[in-house]
Amino acid sequence: MTRAPRHRAMGSRSRHRAPRRTRLGVLRLVLAVLVLAAGAVALTWPAPDPRAAAGTAAASAPVAAPVPGPVVLAEQPAPTAVPPTRVRVPAIGLDSGLVDLGLDATGALQAPTDDATAGWYAGGPAPGDVGPAVLAGHVDSVRGPAVFSRLGELTDGDRVLVDRADGSTATFTVTRVERHPKDAFPTDAVYGPTADAQLRLVTCGGDFDRSARSYEDNVVVFARMT
Amino acid sequence: MTRTSRVLTVVAVTAALAGLPMTTATADEGGLLRLAHLSPDTPAVDVYVDSVADPAAGQVFPAVGYGTVSEYQSVPPGTYAISMRGAGADPASPPVLSTTVEVGADSARTVAGVGPFADLGLEVLEDDLTPPPAGSARLRVVAAAAGAQSLDVAVPGGPAVATDLAFADTTGYVDVPAGATSVTVTPEGGEATELPVQVAAGSVYSVLVLDRPGGGLTVRAALDAASPGVVPSGGVEAGAGGTAGGTAGSPALPLAATAAGVVLAGGAGLFLLTTRTHAARVPGRHAAGRRRR
Repeated sequence: MTRAPRHRAMGSRSRHRAPRRTRLGVLRLVLAVLVLAAGAVALTWPAPDPRAAAGTAAASAPVAAPVPGPVVLAEQPAPTAVPPTRVRVPAIGLDSGLVDLGLDATGALQAPTDDATAGWYAGGPAPGDVGPAVLAGHVDSVRGPAVFSRLGELTDGDRVLVDRADGSTATFTVTRVERHPKDAFPTDAVYGPTADAQLRLVTCGGDFDRSARSYEDNVVVFARMT
Repeated sequence: MTRTSRVLTVVAVTAALAGLPMTTATADEGGLLRLAHLSPDTPAVDVYVDSVADPAAGQVFPAVGYGTVSEYQSVPPGTYAISMRGAGADPASPPVLSTTVEVGADSARTVAGVGPFADLGLEVLEDDLTPPPAGSARLRVVAAAAGAQSLDVAVPGGPAVATDLAFADTTGYVDVPAGATSVTVTPEGGEATELPVQVAAGSVYSVLVLDRPGGGLTVRAALDAASPGVVPSGGVEAGAGGTAGGTAGSPALPLAATAAGVVLAGGAGLFLLTTRTHAARVPGRHAAGRRRR
């Protein structure tokens, strides 16, 4: 940012100064001409086969024109963003529909209101798209186990299937399972950019703080699409 | 209690109570590798990716042509030899170009053939996976068009991303305000052209400037990585304690439940230790549980 303008400024300054250093300037000019000439010879003289072939391919292009031609945008596939509809984890007998999740007033991810149903953070990537898609569900209710009660039993290599609204299914493989105190939640690891399609399953774990009516930890399952 | 059973019980109880390791770094946590052909006058190439540690685990990307950026491939962390041969050339023939690239766990690299054919080079680009600041996206520019000896790229109303960027060079990543809907590309000696490009918060892009068949330039925004536009703060409240060992206010039940858990877990531990097929799955957790305290 700051470097480039400075570079430019220096360039123009040295150009202003050039007349005062004539001898050096001439030397530079001679060198520059030599370099250019050498470059031109190198470019035109031997003409190896592949370059010649490339030359004929581009023969219709106005190669000699000094002004560049049009600048256009390549056609690109539109981002898909197909919402997920179900999550299935055969290893722990999990099969749940998915509701959309948002953030609460404090900016925290809101768990589903129904403890028997998991949810998808709709403000993030959809499962199957590039990036970390995040699903959350309750580990238990006041009465007993809830939708993600057995999440902590998952191990590396277990499969997580996510059905999508277009009828397709994205298959993910668990790469690691972690438990972290909520006050030291690994935000970057869970929500940070990924170059491939990944999935996170989040629920509660660790000790239950009865006074706060809250588990102290979060269990996070990391998976990547396979 | 015999010594063995005591050890087993301790192991099982620790595992049952600790449940999960606080952090893990498993060996199969892969990195990502992709390939790009960004040399305008170089014919299509076959690209060979070979693991130095495991030469048998090689991959070939056949006939990769100019302008191609492959999908990311998940690979085990390690060093990889990347070799380029002319499309269809004998795999045993000496490569036109080769280099090595180090791919770490949870990292992404792009190996690109860059520059004119006469001065072709293989460059390893580090793809940024760090979170952009809130409300920002991240862009870099790869100058891969011989038709523009240098070029400028900027986000209107935002910062310059590339200034006097020479052909075959790549900028570092620049944070830009998210929600931008266009980028301006100005080749040396040409006019500024504004192109519609959606820049989403939390996403990381490489803007490729390529020679356009028939003259001019083609611009493509390749998505390097993505993350939520708004990152939730902290963890998730996803439990009410119903399985935390009894109901609130009755301290006897949690103890009873824990005792039952000890018996069950101890039994399970014994059972699993005598069952070879399950042994592979359990030791990691036992070990982790022991490591914790």
